Amino acid sequence: MGALSDLLGGFADALTPVNLLFALLGVVLGTAVGVLPGIGPAMTVALLLPVTYTLEPTTAFIMFAGIYYGGMYGGSTTSILLNTPGESSSIMTALEGNLMAKSGRGAAALATAAIGSFVAGTIATLLLALVAPVVVDLAIGITPADYFALAVLAFVAVATVLGASPLRGLASLGVGLYLGLVGTDVLTGQERFTVGVPQLSDGIDVVVVAVGLFAVGETLYVASRLRRGPVEVMAASGSYLTRADLRRSWKPWLRGTALGFPLGALPAGGAEIPTFLSYAAERKLTKHPEEFGRGAIEGVAGPEAANNAAAAGVLVPLLTLGLPTSATAAIILAAFQGYGIQPGPTLLSTESSLVWTLIASLLIGNFMLLVLNLPLAGVWVKLLRIPRPYLYAGILLFASLGCYAVNADPLDLVLLLVIGLLGFAMRRYGWPVAPAVIGLILGPVAETNLRRALAISSGDLGVLVDTWFSRIVLALAVLALVLPVVLRAVRGRRATPEELQAGEGLRHRETVGAPPADEEER
Amino acid sequence: MSVSPDPDVSTRDATGAHASAGGRPPAPPRTGVSRGELAMTVLLGVLGVYLLLDAANIAIPGSSNTIGPRFFPYLIGGVVLATALALGFRVLRGDRGPADESEDVDPDAPTSWVAVGTIAAAFLGQALLINVVGWPLAVTLMFAVVAWSLGARGVVRPLLAGGVLAVVVWIVFVKGLGVALPGGVLLELATSWF
Repeated sequence: MGALSDLLGGFADALTPVNLLFALLGVVLGTAVGVLPGIGPAMTVALLLPVTYTLEPTTAFIMFAGIYYGGMYGGSTTSILLNTPGESSSIMTALEGNLMAKSGRGAAALATAAIGSFVAGTIATLLLALVAPVVVDLAIGITPADYFALAVLAFVAVATVLGASPLRGLASLGVGLYLGLVGTDVLTGQERFTVGVPQLSDGIDVVVVAVGLFAVGETLYVASRLRRGPVEVMAASGSYLTRADLRRSWKPWLRGTALGFPLGALPAGGAEIPTFLSYAAERKLTKHPEEFGRGAIEGVAGPEAANNAAAAGVLVPLLTLGLPTSATAAIILAAFQGYGIQPGPTLLSTESSLVWTLIASLLIGNFMLLVLNLPLAGVWVKLLRIPRPYLYAGILLFASLGCYAVNADPLDLVLLLVIGLLGFAMRRYGWPVAPAVIGLILGPVAETNLRRALAISSGDLGVLVDTWFSRIVLALAVLALVLPVVLRAVRGRRATPEELQAGEGLRHRETVGAPPADEEER
Repeated sequence: MSVSPDPDVSTRDATGAHASAGGRPPAPPRTGVSRGELAMTVLLGVLGVYLLLDAANIAIPGSSNTIGPRFFPYLIGGVVLATALALGFRVLRGDRGPADESEDVDPDAPTSWVAVGTIAAAFLGQALLINVVGWPLAVTLMFAVVAWSLGARGVVRPLLAGGVLAVVVWIVFVKGLGVALPGGVLLELATSWF
């Protein structure tokens, strides 16, 4: 098989001592930063981006692969050992993981999460290697109009399907699209919305926006409502996986992978929905229903596997189409662009060795994580105890570093603060942040393709629905826009994780405020 | 051992600083029109109008006979304005966004605008000081102010922690990784032998 020999070639590039060292460095840094509370995978990648600035592309992406998977893994450790809600994709892991840790089985919860992440990550990364060339073959004949349709679908899906409030998701997307417009128009060289500031004519740097929305915004938000008092970290106590634990874990790992990879790979991807579905599935299929709500190991194994499989799945549209479907993917895309590489259907042929080295590094990093994390759990627990004033002051220090290092211009830091205040307000009033990052990075791509399509048709809008591909994709986008509104009107809001844990199923419930008596189970 | 996860362990009122009372019967979560959310929506509407108006000022090169640099801004301006109107309608009817959850956030705590203001001011000060006193000193001061406003005790420890971290990070990134970052006169002199 072509993909297999390409992958072996990637391994040959990645398995040099220096590259292994950078992979290890990436994994350790990614996990350490990802473990820190308040820092999700997207912020981990955004904050560690400057570390790779001065490296050459291959080395940088080897390190990046480790940071990406390390950040995912670190997030789940946090959610299991801290008794507080964290980022959306590890909420489901936290539900049962917290309870297991509380009842003295923290080590088993961490172990099933670690091995589940490894199994899911390995299978999903191999699937990525197999699927990517196929998608590229399909995508070669794609027209600008098709591409525009895909971007619209990604916009709508990210804005409406993932967040709790579709309208607020659209609002956030709109802000991101606006930020993407600021600068010089690529096709005609005209300045747009630069309000006369010369630095803005190059556009607003994605790193500034990502670090601003995630790091600065999160710090300001936490500062506004800091949880006072001592930090409660649960011990990673108890025995590691027993034989019985293993027997109960392996099927949820595989099921989680089966849910996570395809849903992550869809242009409407993200890790939130697969973890939700995985938890619901495990709850239904378990032989120990009485343990759910008291620390069932299946409830950790499934969602954690789904989370990691989705993280690999997200790379399929990113590497083959240049289509980021999560905030983390958008930042990785920005990293590619920083090296003058534009992911898309041609990436696999023009930067073949880079892509395969990246995929091989993902597999290597995944293996390193498994080896490192079981013995290092104690270190991560110590990191969780960092006094919060110092933690958030440190986050701002690194935000300043990463942002200033891009252009060495203090104006970027002022811009960072303004965007940070915006991120604070968005969190405060329930606007999701991810759509803004995706709008910023994907907006210009969508515009270029739209204008190319319309230039070919000399202005006839009919070209947008000329192919069956674009018709179907645009129809899906309309569906994604309308369906949440209709479901909300008919069925009420979506079940929250807590309701899911209480066994009320994944169905939409009666309208807000009505007694939750009916519409339960099936 | 850990404490119980019950939300009612907290003795604080569930009503945030901005929960102005509306004319509706109280439901379990906050109700009423939120002034903050309304302000956000109005700002979004202003952004939409700005996009639509300023798009007309974008120069169009004479040669282009298809859609030029104005089309997409108009499109986005329209979408933003429509979203703002729809969201404004919902917010006026009492709809509230779910505030973000995070490990270190107490969802029942009232918003501390003082902390937000202090940290924002510290960050701005640092941005303006970098090219004057160098990055390490500027971020050390910011670090200390941020730590104090988040409840760190003592005068020396936050300054010392920030200073050590800043110098170590500066050495690693500037001397090790070659990132451009002004070190300030003293530090650059002290490390010039590297």
